[in-house]
Amino acid sequence: MSKKGNDMNPLVQTKEIIKTYTLGRTEVHALRGLSLDFEPGEFTAISGPSGSGKTTLLNLLGLIDSPTSGTVFLEGSQVKYNGLTKLHSIRLEKLGFIFQTFNLIPVLTAYENVEYPLLLMKKSSVQRREMVEKVLREVRLWEFRKHKPNELSGGQRQRVAIARALVNRPKLILADEPTANIDSATASEILDLMHTLNEEDNVTFLFSTHDQLVMQHARRIVKLHDGVILNGESNV
Amino acid sequence: MEKAMSNFMRLSFKNVFRNRRRTAITGLVLVFGATALILAGGFIAYSFRGLRESTIHGELGHIQLFNKEYLLHEEDRPLELGLDSADAMKKKIMMVNHVRFTMARIDFMGLISNGDKSEAFLGRGVEPDKELKLSDLGLNMDRGQFLDQDPSDMKDNQVVLASGLAKTMKAKLGDYLTLMTTTSTGALNALDVKVVGVYSTGIPEYDERALMVDLSTAQQILNSKKVTKLVVVLDQTDETIKVAAQLEKMFPNVTAKRWFDLATFYNSVVRLYNAIFGFLGIIIFVIVVLSSSNTMMMSIFERTKEIGTQLAVGTSRLRLMLNFVYEGLIIGVLGALLGLVIAYGVSVLINNSNIMMPAPPGRTTGYPLLVDTVPMLFVGVFILMSLTTVVSSVIPAFKASRLKIVDALGHI
Repeated sequence: MSKKGNDMNPLVQTKEIIKTYTLGRTEVHALRGLSLDFEPGEFTAISGPSGSGKTTLLNLLGLIDSPTSGTVFLEGSQVKYNGLTKLHSIRLEKLGFIFQTFNLIPVLTAYENVEYPLLLMKKSSVQRREMVEKVLREVRLWEFRKHKPNELSGGQRQRVAIARALVNRPKLILADEPTANIDSATASEILDLMHTLNEEDNVTFLFSTHDQLVMQHARRIVKLHDGVILNGESNV
Repeated sequence: MEKAMSNFMRLSFKNVFRNRRRTAITGLVLVFGATALILAGGFIAYSFRGLRESTIHGELGHIQLFNKEYLLHEEDRPLELGLDSADAMKKKIMMVNHVRFTMARIDFMGLISNGDKSEAFLGRGVEPDKELKLSDLGLNMDRGQFLDQDPSDMKDNQVVLASGLAKTMKAKLGDYLTLMTTTSTGALNALDVKVVGVYSTGIPEYDERALMVDLSTAQQILNSKKVTKLVVVLDQTDETIKVAAQLEKMFPNVTAKRWFDLATFYNSVVRLYNAIFGFLGIIIFVIVVLSSSNTMMMSIFERTKEIGTQLAVGTSRLRLMLNFVYEGLIIGVLGALLGLVIAYGVSVLINNSNIMMPAPPGRTTGYPLLVDTVPMLFVGVFILMSLTTVVSSVIPAFKASRLKIVDALGHI
């Protein structure tokens, strides 16, 4: 990544990003020149109907996809997609992911799932134990640490996924429709939890969602439609 | 670093057993492969050992000493290129370490007659007591007895006939036959010999022509004190090369032929069996590679979304690839270990079952089916099986590591 000169950089910034997919002979314009800034500590929902580009934007911000054109800056540094930059290291150290379908590793227990990123970071067993216990207690799942994903409810699984995303204390957590597969009561509980983590630990959350409940919790909502930002981006 | 490896190995171990049926099928292929290779290899090792020892103790001895010229030129007359100070040589040879005993032989040929008909024969003059000592199992006498061990006890010159020749000559025990041959000076000579026994060599063509007489009888009919060769028998087959070199140094005019230089049948059997074993190994290797590759590909297909997740949360592509290679290694090690245990059990079972094999080509007698347990073979098969699954997991693992994260996450 190459660094910009300004010290007061947004956490993430996109400049004129375009993402076009080719499906057979058809070109699908998922994002059409988006420029957005996300500051540290934000609790932001990216909303819009299916096909509006929410997930594509999240994928680009999460460095798991590259734009057709335009640039992404993370903490002021331009992200390079040339294969020379170890994007996996950036994802590991600075980003956390929460998926709609939880995406836990089924053969691992809740504890082991949360521990997994720390293994990649080569943390010592003592450090791992401390960090996993802390985060599992934060999401109130310490008692369920030995359970495998199929022994947990949807809400519990999502909390394990949140714990996994949080355990290495990333700067930014990207959550793709985090409440889509859980009931509203559990969704509310999950959102409260994320809200608390945001306020107490200043973790930045970006959600893609079309869930009204999530939007009610968000302090800022970015509305997308057909790959562009609708007028009237709202700050709650 | 090692701890991290063991942690990821633990994850791979868990993944190996997430689809137990499929792992079991791949494991069974490995078990079958390891068992087949070990049993085939053990049987071949036993066959080689048995054939080697029967070649040495039934015929060749460990080393044969010839006059250097004997192997380079055709003899115009019998024993022309023989060894002429055999007794003195034998005394010196007995001083060499690992030599059990040494004995002289004379090879000659001529006609044998019963008065009505004559047949060509291949004769051998031997030292009876030592020939019996060479053959641990004893000569295969069909009828009668072997030559008297002390020639001074003989009232008559004795002969033992191979079974085919005895049948052709219609010879019964106690019959007198006449041997006719050319002496070492080129004259014709004849000698009456008494049939004292009939033996089988197991090789039909040889049984049609062979006979044996005492060394002194052969020297008498050939009118020479020379011998064709000296046979040296050692206490350990593994010392053959070393002792042969020593003997050649000791006797500059002598060529020391090692048993494997002379054992054409043994060498051709070894080549044939090695080719069969190699072919079997290749087939099993291919089966194992295909089976474990298939398992790995299926596993990767089923876990595409999970692979996407792992990459998304920061797993490097190399780490991901290694995890899949570990899975191949785990399946290989477990399957090979189980295969070794089963192969050992089956070997013991076969060795205690007294199963007889039919006579091999060119032989008239069968032999017991036995399987040697060769430690190096077990180690080799274990390494081969483990490496095979590792090799067969590399391509699927590489494919998994190259998946596009967004595509993998969207996989259903």
